Amino acid sequence: MAQVVMKDLNKKYDEVHAVKDVNLHVRDKEFIVLVGPSGCGKSTTLRMVAGLEEITAGEIAIGDRVVNDLPPKDRDIAMVFQNYALYPHMTVYDNMAFGLKMRKFPKAEILKRVQDAAEILGIQELLKRKPRQLSGGQRQRVAVGRAIVRHPQVFLFDEPLSNLDAKLRVQMRVELKRLHDRLETTAIYVTHDQVEAMTLGDRVVVMKDGWVQQVGEPLELYGRPSNRFVAGFIGSPAMNFVDVGISEANGAVWIETQGLRLKAAADRTDRLRPYKGQKVTLGIRPEDIRLASGSDTPDRTFESVVEVVEPLGSEILLDMKIASAQMVARVEPTVRVKVHEPIKMAINTDRLHFFDLKSEAAI
Amino acid sequence: MAPALVLVLGVLAYPVGWEVWVSLTDFSTRLDGPPSFVGLANYLALGREPEFWHALTVTVAYFVLTTGLKLAIGTAMAVALAGPFRGRALVFLAVFLPWAYPGSVTVIAWFWMLNPPLLTSYAVAMGGVKHAFDGLFGTGAWAFLSVALFNVWRGASFTAVFLLAGLNALPTELFDYARLETRNAWQRFLAVTLPLLRPYLALAVFLSFTTAFADLANVWMLTGGRIVFPVLGTQAYWLGIRNGQFAEAAARSLSLVPLLVLALVVLFRWFDPPRERAA
Amino acid sequence: MAQGTLMALIAAYSLFPIYFITVQSLKTPQEDVFGSPLWVTDPSFENYTELFEGAKARPRGFVILPRVPFLDWLANSALVLAGSLAVTLAAAVLAAYALGRLQPPGWRWWRRALFATYVVPHTILFVPLYQVIIRLGLDDSHGALVLIYSTMALPFCVWILSAYYQHLPREIEEAALIEGASPATAFVRIVLPMSRNVLIAAALFTVGTVGNDFMLASIFLLDPTKQTVAAGLGVMDVSLEELVTVAGVNLAAIPVAAACAVFARGYVRGLTAAMVEGA
Repeated sequence: MAQVVMKDLNKKYDEVHAVKDVNLHVRDKEFIVLVGPSGCGKSTTLRMVAGLEEITAGEIAIGDRVVNDLPPKDRDIAMVFQNYALYPHMTVYDNMAFGLKMRKFPKAEILKRVQDAAEILGIQELLKRKPRQLSGGQRQRVAVGRAIVRHPQVFLFDEPLSNLDAKLRVQMRVELKRLHDRLETTAIYVTHDQVEAMTLGDRVVVMKDGWVQQVGEPLELYGRPSNRFVAGFIGSPAMNFVDVGISEANGAVWIETQGLRLKAAADRTDRLRPYKGQKVTLGIRPEDIRLASGSDTPDRTFESVVEVVEPLGSEILLDMKIASAQMVARVEPTVRVKVHEPIKMAINTDRLHFFDLKSEAAI
Repeated sequence: MAPALVLVLGVLAYPVGWEVWVSLTDFSTRLDGPPSFVGLANYLALGREPEFWHALTVTVAYFVLTTGLKLAIGTAMAVALAGPFRGRALVFLAVFLPWAYPGSVTVIAWFWMLNPPLLTSYAVAMGGVKHAFDGLFGTGAWAFLSVALFNVWRGASFTAVFLLAGLNALPTELFDYARLETRNAWQRFLAVTLPLLRPYLALAVFLSFTTAFADLANVWMLTGGRIVFPVLGTQAYWLGIRNGQFAEAAARSLSLVPLLVLALVVLFRWFDPPRERAA
Repeated sequence: MAQGTLMALIAAYSLFPIYFITVQSLKTPQEDVFGSPLWVTDPSFENYTELFEGAKARPRGFVILPRVPFLDWLANSALVLAGSLAVTLAAAVLAAYALGRLQPPGWRWWRRALFATYVVPHTILFVPLYQVIIRLGLDDSHGALVLIYSTMALPFCVWILSAYYQHLPREIEEAALIEGASPATAFVRIVLPMSRNVLIAAALFTVGTVGNDFMLASIFLLDPTKQTVAAGLGVMDVSLEELVTVAGVNLAAIPVAAACAVFARGYVRGLTAAMVEGA
């Protein structure tokens, strides 16, 4: 039983309102990821759970206990920091044993637990070394090891992979996921990297300016973003946006801007009709733009000029413009396109996203 | 925080306050009865006294010269020691020792090197130099110079080690980049090393101030006041301790304050570590 | 080759006065008068051994010299040094942590205020200082020196320690808090051991400050059995007993210099650690 419940959580500094009315129920054994741009309040939220920041208003409960007034040491949590925060004057063994020593575990038990954790993480050889003799990846493992030896109720991760190079980051990501499957400990993980969020999280919490934007499973966020921010933040390359007018003709709803005239899919017409004569923001995922073929009707195609070709191997990204908006299309690696050439593209009109121009909420 | 503040301010604030108050009175052991308030009279009297201006000039010159030399020699030694070479550890220890060796020994060493006791074999030769020097700059100038040299010797050692630590702390990329941008080592030193060391140089100046007076006083006491070269500190001591004219002594000491405040303002602009200035 | 010569010059410049004074201290009175000042042909430890025979008055030439309780002086010096170290480090650590880590409003100005005390020459303050000491009931006691030396060493120690704490990643302490340590435990078990080198730097600076003083010791300690080496030997008549004086202070200097040599590397590392940005 180690769920974490945040109720109307708020954090105010002198001038900044960093976290606003966060309500979140992290279920037992769940791996939840808080993601957002820097300054969105995700780290502050995590630090309030850890007890490193005072709670301005609201309540946090770990398990059945409200922990608002508990010091960090009594919350039965473990935390992994971005800069590892290993104790430089202690060996790896002592780093990992520190928390157990503080809790007065018997020596034999400490030894056993440290060795078990070291084995899981493959760092048995390093136990006698000092942190400065380790590589970044090894330090990260020690930091994780320090967290798991205590069998805490909740793991807190504060951007733990951000200081690693790209390749190592992917590797550690997989290891963390495997570790979580094995230990089944509730985990709250903070990152600014949406790929990490999507790959690691059972559920993902997107935050911006202190507000929770959306909570959901990764594919839910990707497929049904609740607003323009989430739509643009989740997914790489990011969703394309262009402002379009809505009109009705011949019994169909049309989406129009300079150089583009699309027929809305039948299941969207009802929701778009109230916006007739107004503008909305159209969102198109890069994979929903492809090279037009002969069978594509004009109500789903547009013409443009390729500005940049980015061959990534497994796919090719094409940069072009619709009206004045920049668009990225993700196409098959077999496609041969030349830069500066005119091109005809087709859009999967049944997978379009629409957002209110003012509120930015999904339509 | 509290204990340090109590210690430093408690031990120093009262004396400073006392000094300021006394300088505004006619307090003297020669007077019976309580001292009376005389306002700025002591200071005005000072201004009319040519000896005071002479002493002030000498004092300022002493500060500027010793501090300048300490920084110059210290920086040179720090830069020389910064690169790797064989025997670096030994040379480093040699440079470190003048500061680490108790000053009460080495001050005697310097003083006797240049002012040998009468009966030694080279006393005559040194005496000749001393005489010539005193003839040029006034009685006591040579002895005074020997104190200044000691102060520079010891202070440069501290400065060198201090700046060496500062050099170690600087990111090496900056020096690598400077190699691309500058034509020779001297340019590099002026354009990169010196500006980056600035906060540490400022700190070294602070410390130079304290030792400059302390060393003077040390030798002065050591020789029973035989160095009679006029400096504000010794003049004040003479008046205060020997003659009991505390008020005039205090005014004399405090006449340096405007200059010190000016120095403080300049130094504080350089003082904080570079990251804070950037932030 | 040019570099080797330069290094040799630096070493010679740094070591010569210490060499010079040591050479003199090994001379017999005969050689002192007739020998060369630069070397000793017939080294003798007479001057050193004499220090320990000083329980009674000794005739020398035409004068009877007073007894020299050298062992007492050594013990006193050690006591004052240990006391100054303890007070300075304890106060500096607390103050530096408060300033550098907890950063109360205006902390930067507090630190500057501490440093500003360096431009006030202590030597001109000793009349009021003496009053403070008497008021605290510390006249003619080692406590007085401990107090004054600590004020002299504190600002610098606070500066380096607070600069270090300021840049120390907060997460390391936070990790300890989460791991089950109380703030006090985290400080003692994590922060203090991490600042080891900076503490060494602060300690050596204190040693250097104490070792350099002669004047304050001779003003504040009058009872011969309570005096430190520097103060005591300064009282001996320098011109009559120069060699014994030098031998005495030199002897006291050896352990200090040795300790400094041992910790020299830590000293530089500590200073560097305080200066590195964000490390």
